[in-house]
Amino acid sequence: MAVTAQTSVVMPVRSRNRERVLRWLAYLTIAVALIVTLFPIYWIAANSFKTDIDIFAVPPQWYPEAPTLKHYVETFVERPFLLYALNSFLVAVGTTIVSLTFGTLAGYALARFRYPGRFRYNVSFWILSTRMMPPIVTIIPLYLFFLFFDMLNTKSALVIAYTAFNLPFATWMMKSYFQDLPVELEEAAIVDGDTRWGAFLRVALPLARPGLAATAIFCLIISWNEFLLSLIITLTEQSQTLPIGIAGRVTQYNTYWGEISAAGFMACVPIMIFAFIVQRHLVRGLSFGAVKG
Amino acid sequence: MASVRFDNVTKKFGAFVAVADLNLEIRDKEFLVLLGPSGCGKTTTMRMVAGLEEVSSGDIFIDGDRINDVLPKYRDVAMVFQSYALYPHLTVAENIGYPLKIRKVPPQQRARQVEEVARRVELDALLERLPRELSGGQRQRVALARAIVRTPRVFLMDEPLSNLDAKLRVQMRAELKHLQHELQVTTIYVTHDQIEAMTLAHRVAVMNKGAIEQLGTPKEIYNDPRTLFVAGFIGSPPMNLIDGEVKNGTFINGSLRVEGLGGTSLRKAVLGVRPEDTHVVAASEAGTSMVAPIYSSELTGESTLVSVQAGDKLFTIRADKNFVGEIDQKIGVKVATDRVFLFDGESRNRVDF
Repeated sequence: MAVTAQTSVVMPVRSRNRERVLRWLAYLTIAVALIVTLFPIYWIAANSFKTDIDIFAVPPQWYPEAPTLKHYVETFVERPFLLYALNSFLVAVGTTIVSLTFGTLAGYALARFRYPGRFRYNVSFWILSTRMMPPIVTIIPLYLFFLFFDMLNTKSALVIAYTAFNLPFATWMMKSYFQDLPVELEEAAIVDGDTRWGAFLRVALPLARPGLAATAIFCLIISWNEFLLSLIITLTEQSQTLPIGIAGRVTQYNTYWGEISAAGFMACVPIMIFAFIVQRHLVRGLSFGAVKG
Repeated sequence: MASVRFDNVTKKFGAFVAVADLNLEIRDKEFLVLLGPSGCGKTTTMRMVAGLEEVSSGDIFIDGDRINDVLPKYRDVAMVFQSYALYPHLTVAENIGYPLKIRKVPPQQRARQVEEVARRVELDALLERLPRELSGGQRQRVALARAIVRTPRVFLMDEPLSNLDAKLRVQMRAELKHLQHELQVTTIYVTHDQIEAMTLAHRVAVMNKGAIEQLGTPKEIYNDPRTLFVAGFIGSPPMNLIDGEVKNGTFINGSLRVEGLGGTSLRKAVLGVRPEDTHVVAASEAGTSMVAPIYSSELTGESTLVSVQAGDKLFTIRADKNFVGEIDQKIGVKVATDRVFLFDGESRNRVDF
């Protein structure tokens, strides 16, 4: 170690070269990561504009040579894509609002209040532990539950089911955000004459905005993409969400790759737009300047 | 406009006793400083007045009203936090105006009051800035302005100057003192800095391990320390405290020998003498308390601090600024016997002689 440090001082050229190599290595890693994550999306987009025959061309067509909108017409006109999208939208937004509201309140309580005795350590762990089993375990009880309350094939059933899975995460994320906020800010508000609730509303909540944004994106993506519960709970077109609708194009006789690609690509768009809008709130460090010099 | 009284107040955190059976009355318009090392319970005491900590037992009164169970918002006290605790998402004006907004003061009047206070602490040009765009000293002023904007019954200040650099701290100290005099608001000020305590306070309560060791004016605390803890805590450089034995009015510890302590005898004693009550004399002079080689000699500007070894401790003498001495040079030390304190090594209380 000491030797390398010495060489870098004696021979700066070599160390500069090494730095350059390291930087290119970093770029290369990023490039690989980007290709791995973005190529499938490109491939879906490309396929959605290809003819049915071109999708299966060997060697593969890297871009649509004879672009067509056929699959989009099928998806939007002949299939109830917009209905599925509306269902997905309502369920995702509903889930996000409910999870965020209760997750924020619960997270704040866990971050700020002292719980008596053993509860102090156990409550938050218990909340998270509900996520430690695979969701499929809960499907039969959930199905019977919704059957009993005559809620099968309803969007509210999906909101309830998704909230059950999103709330623990939302609670934990918000808890950690509130824990990062200096408690003196709320104490100052309380001494300034505010109530505890007022201090939460006027001081803690505005400062937790990055946390709220991150948690919202998280909830939205999870519920937008959810497949398994939706598959079991909803059977009618009126209540089904996008993932189910898209999967429905894999039929007994044929798999409509073109339509699946078009619908799949379109399904990504709303989340991308939302993430784009919200990302500026994700910037942390809003609480800089609150304490210390 | 208010007095604060603690009656047998105790605060426990689980098994840990932070404040033990505290009795203290802070008079109307008084500037009282709670002074002590960290963990002595001074901040907890203040937070109980603010309503940020509950009282475990005993009572706290403001103006004769028991406030134990009164919500903070009805106590009408203002607090300056050590970290300032400015609301980072609000501008300076909104920060200062926050207590008024909560009290539903109409916007126009609020703006007028905020401006007035801002002028007073010289922030009027920065009202639209956010806290993160301010310097440490400016943030400190915002915190102060937020506290004084509504003339509360009691000011609570929790080490408000400790995050400032040395020069600014001295300046703000003077401003604070002037401001408190001008506003005539009862103030409780927490600090571990004994110079702040000496300069600011009408009275100082020196705290240690959850209890008040001594309560008195800065002069009393300095000239008449009742316990070993107070003696060692107040003064810069601190008082020389040397362990030894007293036999028939003579304190002895190795090379140090101080006579004329009445007829006291103590097997375990601590002799306390402030550096300014000692003198450097020629080693050969008669009536010295100690002859020892110089360990170090530091010129501070207005005087020279000379230290010599006494037993296993350093003994500091405040000598004239023109004193010149080499390390290892032998000097005589003369102690002003009438300015010497004697403490019982067991009870750590002062022994009068």
